[in-house]
Amino acid sequence: ETVLRVGTWLPPTNPQNETVWPTWAKWVEEATEGRVRVEVEEGLGHPKTLFQLVEDGVINASFSYHGYVPGRFELPQAVEQPGLGVSAEAASVALWRTYEKYFEQADEFAGLKVIGMFTHGPGYIHSKEPITSWDQIKGKKIRIGGGVQSALGERMGITPVAAPAPKVYEMLQQGVIDGVFMPMGEQKALRLSEVAPNVTMIPGGMYLGSFSIFIDPYFLEELDPKDRDAILSVSGEKLSQMAGKAWDGIDAAGYKVAQENGVNLIELKESDPMSQEFFSMIKGMKQEWVESVADRGVDAQEAIDYLWKNARDYENAK
Amino acid sequence: MSLASWVNSRYEEVGPVKWLAFALELVAAVVLFLLMAITCVDVAGRYLFSNSLDGATELTEIGLAIMLFAAMPIVTWRGGHVVVDIFDRVIGGRMVKALALFAALVISSSMYFLGVRIFELAERSLRRGVVTEYLGIPTGYIVEYIAVMSWFTALGMISYGIYRIFANTAK
Amino acid sequence: MSVVLIGFAVLLFLIIIVRMPIAFGMGLVGFFGFAALQGLELGNLTDFRWNGVLSMASYRVIDTVQEYSLSVIPLFILMGNLVTRSGLSHELYHVSNAFLGHRKGGLSMATVVACGGFSAICGSSLATSATMAKVAMPPMRKYGYSDALATASIAAGGTLGILIPPSVILVIYGLLTETSIRELFAAGFLPGLLGILLYLAAVRYVVMRNPSHGPAGEKMSWPERIQALKGVWGVLLLFTVVMGGIYMGIFTPTEAAGIGAGGAFLIALARRSLTLAGLFDTLTDTVRTSAMLFAVLIGALIFSDFINRAGLPDALLNFVTGLDVSPIVVILAILGIYIVLGMVFESLSMMLLTVPVFYPLVQSLGFDLVWFGIVVVVVTEISLITPPVGMNVFVLSAVLRDVKTGTIFKGVTPFWCADIVRLALIVFAVPISLFLPELLYR
Ligand code: NA
Ligand code: NA
Repeated sequence: ETVLRVGTWLPPTNPQNETVWPTWAKWVEEATEGRVRVEVEEGLGHPKTLFQLVEDGVINASFSYHGYVPGRFELPQAVEQPGLGVSAEAASVALWRTYEKYFEQADEFAGLKVIGMFTHGPGYIHSKEPITSWDQIKGKKIRIGGGVQSALGERMGITPVAAPAPKVYEMLQQGVIDGVFMPMGEQKALRLSEVAPNVTMIPGGMYLGSFSIFIDPYFLEELDPKDRDAILSVSGEKLSQMAGKAWDGIDAAGYKVAQENGVNLIELKESDPMSQEFFSMIKGMKQEWVESVADRGVDAQEAIDYLWKNARDYENAK
Repeated sequence: MSLASWVNSRYEEVGPVKWLAFALELVAAVVLFLLMAITCVDVAGRYLFSNSLDGATELTEIGLAIMLFAAMPIVTWRGGHVVVDIFDRVIGGRMVKALALFAALVISSSMYFLGVRIFELAERSLRRGVVTEYLGIPTGYIVEYIAVMSWFTALGMISYGIYRIFANTAK
Repeated sequence: MSVVLIGFAVLLFLIIIVRMPIAFGMGLVGFFGFAALQGLELGNLTDFRWNGVLSMASYRVIDTVQEYSLSVIPLFILMGNLVTRSGLSHELYHVSNAFLGHRKGGLSMATVVACGGFSAICGSSLATSATMAKVAMPPMRKYGYSDALATASIAAGGTLGILIPPSVILVIYGLLTETSIRELFAAGFLPGLLGILLYLAAVRYVVMRNPSHGPAGEKMSWPERIQALKGVWGVLLLFTVVMGGIYMGIFTPTEAAGIGAGGAFLIALARRSLTLAGLFDTLTDTVRTSAMLFAVLIGALIFSDFINRAGLPDALLNFVTGLDVSPIVVILAILGIYIVLGMVFESLSMMLLTVPVFYPLVQSLGFDLVWFGIVVVVVTEISLITPPVGMNVFVLSAVLRDVKTGTIFKGVTPFWCADIVRLALIVFAVPISLFLPELLYR
């Protein structure tokens, strides 16, 4: 019996720890007929370090957020650009397909074998005061998570405040920040419903955040070929789809918690002026991404079009 | 008082090591002062101009690393690290000296090997183009600095640190 | 499991007998312990895959020295040093002395309350101990207090604030266990006050047994007291700005450290008590203290990586679940484990390692998770002053180079006992923690 050591982060009740890892562990154990057993380990340090710890064989597999390593993982950010407007499940499947077809050859994940890609659900504005027009958010102190959120914040004219996610609760409570960009699930997970009683929901959300799941290639190499194939057979698109779906799940739970706690959910329609203004505000961001990855040797325009088409087709077929 | 006599009076080290200690501490002191200033400017900017200092967080992070590792060699060779001294009186003087020598060798070799790995990781990070979020500074350079200062700490410990153990107990 | 016991034994040997600096002792044992778990043996020293273990330790170094939230440590130390350099701390204690000096241990009591208040707001025990060590120590010495009582009041007083809201540790507990954070904040309030009261009682006990630890001074007349008040408006203003600024949400606790240092710098300038050489001394002194503390933090993290990989938390869970006893005895067993772990862990890593493992069991036994959160935070507070690895004690000995850790640990003992009394009260009198949340939110 071989132990496959998975490094994780985020609270135990996060979908990644509650659903994704246990499900994949079961798949792996079934596919290898019990010859490979998955063991999950926490407390390994900053999540950005997990990429390195897998590469150096301290753990065998893990997942992390691309935005934590600016400059290295530029291509997967294609999925984060505003305006895609699909669920995490659709985005995750499309991102995986695009990774296989276009991004893998650029070797951004040197030293790692990527076995899945996914996104969290659409990001919204959670705020202390209701925000129903773009004038109201101008100059407000908003905590942002970097990457695409910074670009959005700049266009909205907010005062950005950088802080790690666990500090958000206190900062909102004390009024250091007026709001935060985050997916709906954080109403439950970060308990935003207690401190940010207003959510402005642009239809389809404002942006997505992307993650990858990766494994140590040496670990795979040392396995019996049939076990290696077995592990890979329960990964890839299958794993990406399952992860995206699980992350959609926490958004649904967050939405329910928000409703139960009387959070003011401002659900805009496509036709509302605020939505229309948002769509014109984000014009050109896709193009900016294409230009930003010009040095990666990938047909970026074709890739992002492929990604968006796949995502929307998947969403419509759901 | 001239700078030379001031440095002479302030530092216990001998010869050129004095000036080295002064230079390192000067870097650390200036960076600490800047850390304080950056926070004040950032907060003031947020309220007065509704605009905070771009990248204040990452400047703080980089400054913290520069400051701490500028001081690390001096703190280490002076034997300044925190020691648990519950059973101090039980152990005799010669034994203390032998144990201190042992500890010094262990400390310098661990800092050396750690530095080697840190340097490799820095090069890897540079190869892959990892930069900071707002200012786009290659993080590998900071990590290389940490590696170099770790070697420096090892070197200081195995030379001046050990010299000091013998000089002190000879008194 | 035996590898953990060997690890603990080697650690104690290295730090107590060999007198290796605590940072390197913990780092080495953690490093080689981790390597052993990765398959290192005497036979494969040369062909062992060292890079993995070295990377793990390297990243602890690289990430910790660039950790934004840890910037509070040097900046609050700097604030304390500047306040002292400008003579303000002496005036502050002149006032405390004018009002409380005629009581035995009066200054010590004032220190406990001041530390409680400061740490409650800034939320960091280490930063509080470091700030107050510089502010409170010289005056207490001047008024004849023993080093043991003076340092212990600061080290113990500094632990109080993690429980009194706002509290980062309670937020992290809430996120780990999906417990309401505002209920946790409300629940932490009374136990926090209880902590202050019991510490005051501990001071009282110490000076009753031996009055020379905290001698009583002359009683001052009211005009003299008013006169003394005049000197301290500067430092009072500074502390009000720092604490009020955080409380009103003008800046974060992390930023408050920089603002506080900047304010102290301006006050020192205004009072013309800062020469260029003096500024240089203050800055370098701060840097050296910070470097020592960061080294200890890094060592502690590498050590906890080893303990984590060795599976200690799971082993403890199996041990506790295997006990065939009543639920409250299970809780007592868990607390016993925490107190033992507190010997070698710093507060946050202890919490991150154990809470995810223990809380489902506690919940299934029918205990309230808000109450358990308070209990856990109190035991992590205790770990900060439990020998041989007590972070708050190390902070004091790093800031005050002429006081031995042994002296501080000795002085801390009555406070440690007061903490155990508090823990027992909180465990057996549940309303102490749950009264406020029930009143406010349930
Ligand atoms: Na607090
Ligand atoms: Na301890």
